[in-house]
Amino acid sequence: MRKSYVTNNIKPNEFDALIRITVEMSKYLYPYIREIMKSKEDIEMNSVIWNDFNKRFNELIKERFNIDSIRVKKLLNQAENDEIIIKSLLILSFCISNQGYLKLKNFLYDF
Amino acid sequence: MIQNKLSFHQSSVSLEIIGLPDYSKNENKDQISIISQWKLTIVDKPLIEGKIEHLGPIMDAFYIYSNLLIKNEIPIYESKLIDIKAENLHIHSIVLKSSKPKVKPLVLKIGNSLLSDTINCFDQLNESPKVTIKKTDIPTNIAKKLRFGLNKKVKFFNFFIPPFIAICSLILFSSSFIIFYNPFENIEKKELINPE
Repeated sequence: MRKSYVTNNIKPNEFDALIRITVEMSKYLYPYIREIMKSKEDIEMNSVIWNDFNKRFNELIKERFNIDSIRVKKLLNQAENDEIIIKSLLILSFCISNQGYLKLKNFLYDF
Repeated sequence: MIQNKLSFHQSSVSLEIIGLPDYSKNENKDQISIISQWKLTIVDKPLIEGKIEHLGPIMDAFYIYSNLLIKNEIPIYESKLIDIKAENLHIHSIVLKSSKPKVKPLVLKIGNSLLSDTINCFDQLNESPKVTIKKTDIPTNIAKKLRFGLNKKVKFFNFFIPPFIAICSLILFSSSFIIFYNPFENIEKKELINPE
């Protein structure tokens, strides 16, 4: 999915390290993650935060991912990507506890 | 006897646990092993409190529901005590049924933000060394079969795909020599047989 010509398989210890970094980052960013999810809850409320987040998300996808891939196209499709984004944010917000590393690992294997 | 009180907070949700240590197990004074009361406070929502034996099933319900939500399965959890279902992608409806007769069930509607706050409060309670509760079966360990299967899948592709492509390309390359038909060669052969 990424814009890369090198297909290196990730090693188990690198995978673990990435999960740990992600959990630590989501602990730090929890207030922001929460606000992004909250901005989408009330339809009448002006969802500026959500729109900003979505715009930046799409920009980063276009910048770093292979846009020709069907899976990436799905991520950029406004009609379909809401569910993917919300579920990803929910997973991150559920994994901010001390044992969040194990939870996230479990979620990823089940995904 | 003065009871111990512990609170767990996460943004708009707080969970309060009141109880006593189990002195028969030589526990510290600040420990809670015998829970006498619990309260779950969600901002702008009615206070949730119940019997001691209700805390475990309610926590289980939230954990199971959150797992269903993430794993793309139908997000509905129903039990005698609590029902949770998704109204849409952002709102969840919770029905808390009272064990007392003639008491109407309490209906709450919470968003994803409050759901994650609640789950995080329960996580804090589960991880707290000061409270001993009957542990719920949260799937924190990865099933060995699944893990093994994933590794196998990767190895299978790495091992078989390169020789498979090599064999295919060899067949395609060599088949091109068989298919090509040279009509001049045939004419020459005929001329050699019948020299006129």
